[in-house]
Order: sequence, then C-alpha cells, then structure tokens
Amino acid sequence: MITTLLIFHGLCAVFMLGALTHQSLSVWWPATAGGRTVFHSFRAVRGASYANTVVVLYVVTVLLGSILYPTYRIGVRSFFEDLRLSAANGVFELKEHFVSIGLGLLPAYWYFWRQPLAAETAMARKAVTALLAFIVWYAFIVGHVVSSIRGFGP
Amino acid sequence: MSVARVFPVFSVAFAVLYVLSMDNNWALFTYLARAGEFHSLVYAPPTPRAGPAMYWWGWLATSAIGAAIVAGIAAALPAGWAGRRWSSLTGPTLTWPTLTWVVPLAVLLVLVFLLRGWFIRVA
Repeated sequence: MITTLLIFHGLCAVFMLGALTHQSLSVWWPATAGGRTVFHSFRAVRGASYANTVVVLYVVTVLLGSILYPTYRIGVRSFFEDLRLSAANGVFELKEHFVSIGLGLLPAYWYFWRQPLAAETAMARKAVTALLAFIVWYAFIVGHVVSSIRGFGP
Repeated sequence: MSVARVFPVFSVAFAVLYVLSMDNNWALFTYLARAGEFHSLVYAPPTPRAGPAMYWWGWLATSAIGAAIVAGIAAALPAGWAGRRWSSLTGPTLTWPTLTWVVPLAVLLVLVFLLRGWFIRVA
C-alpha cells in the first residue's frame, strides 16, 4: 500500500514538474515567432492554462506525501540516524519545509494567473511561478534520492 | 471586491507564520506516528514506545489558521490600503505583489539557516 502511494506521489510530482517547467520557461523565456526547435516548442505554451492543474496537482501531491510522512518518520529517518546520514535527513527536512511554503504560496500563485492576466502583477507572477518550480524540482530530486538510499521494503 | 485580492496577503502571512511556528514549535496538534494518536498542541511522548512526535501537520494548521485570520483582517480593510501603506513606508516598489515572492524567498533562506545543524557542526 505504501509503495503504491509512493508511486502515485512520484507520478503526481512528475506531472507537476512538467507543468511548472513549461509555465516558468514560457514567462521567463517567451517563445518568439517562427521558431521550430524543441526548446522553442517547450516554451511556446499558454502559461495560464496550467495554473489550475498545478494547484490541484500540488495539493494532491502534498496530501499523498502527508499520508506517507509517518512511514518516513518511523522507518526512514531513524534508519538514516542509525547510519549517521545526517545530511540525508537534513535535505529531507528542508524538502518538508520548502513544500509547506509552496503550499502557502498557492493562493497567490492562482490569483496572479487569473484571466485576464494583470500587467501590474507580471513580475510577481513570474517570480512566484519560478519559486514554485524551484520547490517542486528540489522536492522531487530529494524525494527520489532519499527513497533510493533507503530502498523499498521493511 | 473579490476575496481573492487578499490571497497574496495570505501567502505572505503563511510563510512568516510557518517559519515562526516551526522555529518555536507552535504546533496546533501533535501526531504520535507509532501509536497513531493525535494530541492537541505540543505533546511530548511519555515513552519511546509511542514513537516520535510529529509536529509538521500542527505547524501547517497553525500557519494556515493564522494566515486566514490575517487575510480576513486585510479583506475587511479598504481595497488598496495595504499597497499604499507599504509604499509610503518603504518606497514605491515594495507592494503586496512584490512581498508575495520576496518574503517566501527570504523564508526559504531562513529555513536553510535554521536547519544548518544537519549539514555543519553548529557550536
């Protein structure tokens, strides 16, 4: 059951990672007309269309992570403590707190991406999107690495 | 005026309250992972058998409720009050949209500083 939840947690994170990366690049490095490369296509998206999906995916991913958290707290963190892997616990603690800050950012993120997009909040929209993208990238990498250190099973 | 206009206020308040809750352990409730028990406020497990105490959900609850109260107060104020007040104190650029990303970014850095003990030896 926990393994299944962990896989769903990871899959939601992957979808969110893709959406936020597309969205961030579309606002920080907008596509110009006529480009045909894969990088151009990656940036040539309507950022606003991702906002609701990102909010839902973020909340679902955090909920799944919250369900998994007691298992981590009992089984994984103590395992790292026994092995004196302090940095591994540290990066995961940071992930937990960064994700919490991201959760609190969602209302503002949603507000800044409301249609029609307000010109006076363009910088805030770009910055909040980049901040969320950073948090999700960090959480994804740390979650993946920490899961790999501990591995599956009892 | 839409309630959504105070969403940036909620986000700023949440970030500040979260780091304060975490640093001071202002958990609204505690969860004992092994025993599967919830306790109100901060609760220290009496025996190791109860397993580690989890405060994270409690910090989130404290921050969310506190931020909702702050946002509720902001919603009751005339529209634009917050932006004008900050502008007059600090210059024209520091408005709520700016604070919405500056404050959480600063909080992330504060969190790294607070948790430095995991990575380096702290005297």
